[in-house]
Amino acid sequence: MSEHDHKPAPMVDEVSDFEILEMAVRELAIEKGLFSAEDHRIWTEYVHTLGPTPAARLVAKAWLDPEYKKLAVADGVAASKAVGVDWVNSPPTKFGTPSDYCNLRVLEDTPTLKHVVVCTLCSCYPRPILGQSPEWYRTPNYRRRLVRWPRQVLSEFGLQLPPEVQIRVADSNQKTRYIVLPVRPAGTEGWTEDQLTEIVTRDCLIGVAVPKPGVKSNIKLPVHKAVHPVQHGHGH
Amino acid sequence: MSTREEVLRHLESVGYVQPALHKQTQAPYPDAIDHTLWRTYTRSVHDVGGEADVPIQYEEKQEEQWELNTFATCECLAWRGVWNAEERRRRQNVDIGQTAYLGLPYYGRWLMTAARILVDKQYATLTELVNKIDEVKKRHEHKKSSR
Amino acid sequence: MSTKSHHDRNHHASIATGIGDPQCFKGKGGKPKFKEGDAVRIKNLPDIFYTRCQVYTRGAVGRVTKLVYESPAAEDEAWDNTEKPEWFYSVAFKQKDLWPEYSDTFSNDTVETEFCERWLEKP
Repeated sequence: MSEHDHKPAPMVDEVSDFEILEMAVRELAIEKGLFSAEDHRIWTEYVHTLGPTPAARLVAKAWLDPEYKKLAVADGVAASKAVGVDWVNSPPTKFGTPSDYCNLRVLEDTPTLKHVVVCTLCSCYPRPILGQSPEWYRTPNYRRRLVRWPRQVLSEFGLQLPPEVQIRVADSNQKTRYIVLPVRPAGTEGWTEDQLTEIVTRDCLIGVAVPKPGVKSNIKLPVHKAVHPVQHGHGH
Repeated sequence: MSTREEVLRHLESVGYVQPALHKQTQAPYPDAIDHTLWRTYTRSVHDVGGEADVPIQYEEKQEEQWELNTFATCECLAWRGVWNAEERRRRQNVDIGQTAYLGLPYYGRWLMTAARILVDKQYATLTELVNKIDEVKKRHEHKKSSR
Repeated sequence: MSTKSHHDRNHHASIATGIGDPQCFKGKGGKPKFKEGDAVRIKNLPDIFYTRCQVYTRGAVGRVTKLVYESPAAEDEAWDNTEKPEWFYSVAFKQKDLWPEYSDTFSNDTVETEFCERWLEKP
């Protein structure tokens, strides 16, 4: 196939075909009584409450309390309650979110074992405790490669691990969702739960980074801007 | 762009999404499909783990409002029992076919699938969906021209 | 095909409300065939139309790390059939057993993923 420069015209002032279809589907579903406008508003508000902080706090608590760590590793759903996440009852359904189910596993790293998470089949991700997945996690590229060339992919995220550390890729293909419980880094002795929570970034919880004192943000990557970005606290 | 210009541009752009294979693959004779090709064509196209690929620049992406709306619509459809998440995944990641699977944005596939389920499960006719799309489009063209 | 006329939109909410999914299928998978630590081989069943059993695992031998839950198989649930839940197992594979080119230097590396019982057999 020959290269082509068929770039779509910019649509900043235009309404895109996606936006048209989105409105049409939503309006039609509501008119047909499949769900209500109120349901849609409630779900959107629920999504706005999600983010990585509860998962980060779960890790910080596990670092500080060996009994809690045992619970987290044995029963992630039960342990989530201590950080304000009830997998069954927090979502508006009261039966869990349809796409995330209610089975969290907390994968405990050790000095000789490093976990990293992927979903090779789609983009399964523990939204109720970690928020929405990053774009790169959803790419076919990450999903194709992580499961077969994990060390190369991790090195592209800046994480190089010696041969004595076993890498275990968790491929989230069914109803279990995963977060990684990394090793507590040196230099954090005497820290409070709040201080520890700050260094457990989303990337650490997926497993493509490890926590470091002083590092409170994800790996710096280019950001693709939205044409009409999500407006928080604003109806539609 | 006039409708006729749009038609001709569309026919050209369809050519771009022809699979870039090294063999002629236009509706071959049955005896050209051996076991390996049978499996290639009947597999679940979402199953990409272990396929060869080269490093790319990974990126973060700001979410579009329609993407969040689409996600909420899909979850509301499941909340109210129109489908379950597995049925949604099957439709949007496999039934959709390889070209659209790799060619549409992530939430573009969610959106197409949400539209399709209304018609497939007979909650709306295709006529109603088409009319609704047309109505929304006209509403926005009207807004634009009255600005 | 599920059409509006006989599609019970409430059937999942009625079993899962206040309980969760996969919890709502607990006790419905029968007696598990495998236990933690068992070696298992992934069957190479036809993969027509839909499966969540990745092709890269077919024919490979791994070890059961955990019996995770009971649930209908994705192949059935994808058409809204939840009548026959099965046991699900988490299975770990050595990377070397999946990918022939995987470096000996990193022979400890592993992959862990889940299967319902129909995909597993004794090696």
